[in-house]
Amino acid sequence: MILKVEGLVKSFGNFEVIHHWNLTVEEGEKVVLLGPSGCGKTTFLRIIAGLEKPTEGKIEIGFERLGFVFQEPRLIPWKTVRDNLRLIEEDEGKIKTILELVKLNGFEDHFPSQISGGMKQRLNLARAMVVDPDFMILDEPFTSLDIKVKMEIMEDLMEIWEKRRFTMLMVTHDVKEAVYMGDRILILSKIPSKILREIRINFIRRDITNRDFLGMESRILRFMLE
Amino acid sequence: MRILLGLLIFFGSWLILSMMLSQSLILPTPMETFSALVEILRDSTTYSAMLSTIAKGFMILGLIIAVGLPVGFVMGLSDKIYELLRPTVMIIQSVPVISWLALVIFMWGIGWKGPVLIGFLSLLPISIFTIVEGVRSIDRDLLEMVKVYRVPKIKVFKYVYIGSLIPFIKAVVDVSVGNVWKTVLVTEFLCGDRGLGVMISWARQYVDVPRIYAITLMAVGLGIGTERIAKKLMSLTTRRWGM
Repeated sequence: MILKVEGLVKSFGNFEVIHHWNLTVEEGEKVVLLGPSGCGKTTFLRIIAGLEKPTEGKIEIGFERLGFVFQEPRLIPWKTVRDNLRLIEEDEGKIKTILELVKLNGFEDHFPSQISGGMKQRLNLARAMVVDPDFMILDEPFTSLDIKVKMEIMEDLMEIWEKRRFTMLMVTHDVKEAVYMGDRILILSKIPSKILREIRINFIRRDITNRDFLGMESRILRFMLE
Repeated sequence: MRILLGLLIFFGSWLILSMMLSQSLILPTPMETFSALVEILRDSTTYSAMLSTIAKGFMILGLIIAVGLPVGFVMGLSDKIYELLRPTVMIIQSVPVISWLALVIFMWGIGWKGPVLIGFLSLLPISIFTIVEGVRSIDRDLLEMVKVYRVPKIKVFKYVYIGSLIPFIKAVVDVSVGNVWKTVLVTEFLCGDRGLGVMISWARQYVDVPRIYAITLMAVGLGIGTERIAKKLMSLTTRRWGM
């Protein structure tokens, strides 16, 4: 067990966002929280990252190094690609390896304003990778990307995961992303949000036009629209 | 080319206006002014006066950077410190120069300390409040990001705070450089023992209006020159931050 959440409640004043969540994440798992916008997904990740305090409940954390891929890249505009990583990790060798891993080699001396949206998100991913995480949080990391770039980055991320096997906790409102990325999908309700259902994905899903993939996608969509 | 044309328009208008007024006591012609300027520049004491004014100006700028920036930074970081110090800074901002003048004359008499202190106090509040605004406008998302990755404070200061504050530091330098010579000349005029302001004061006593205009031209040159140098220095510094 790398993360255990028991009876988690989060309210902002009288406004309850998260209503009694219970979940456990095992080491090496890829868990996706799938739910509508504004259901408290990001709030949950912020609690795990220590940026918010829960109102009620218990959280047990078993990881040491956290990587966080933010929804918007949160890069330092006046620092180059390399320096944005140097903020987190000084080891030049490690930076070089990670930049190669996320296919940003050759752009080390570019500033964030000189690279595309997809590359910024790759740098966001690189920053999370450079800490050599045992737990990786991804907060709707592909929202602002077009489908082609999104697919490229998702494929690369899965390749990286195959090599490094860190635990992943991702939130999204996109069913396709959830099915592609997760071993386990937790479907959330509207606020005050509850975990409605847990779905395990057992097929190999690299092809998003595959019949199993499309079947799973439509099954989840039907459930969410009910 | 356009600058030359602009200067030509300025001096041409000055010439026409002075000829229309035809009263050297109010507006001498550019020729009278330039001849007074040549005379001033031939006098070796002019250079020591100019150096004295420059030294005071740089002393004020140094104090603004050494005091205004850190105080503004701390006030921007902490609401409690802001509320504690704000009344003092606002009082300093509101006190008329003439009151400071009375105070420094009682304390030190005429000399260099008065102009430096008054110049410093006149420019300090705006530099503090500019930096406070800068600190408050730092991207909260970046601060959260460094918190998640537990980046050491010294690195956060170097990478995030300084970089975010560069445009505000630039604004402080721009405003201070633009105003420091005016402040120094006024305070030298009122309580200085040496400097261009004192030279204007003496020229006024002798009703030597072309001389006043000539010294003013020197002060304008000083202002433009330092502004250019400051801009160059700032752009060299900010290049390090990719700005």
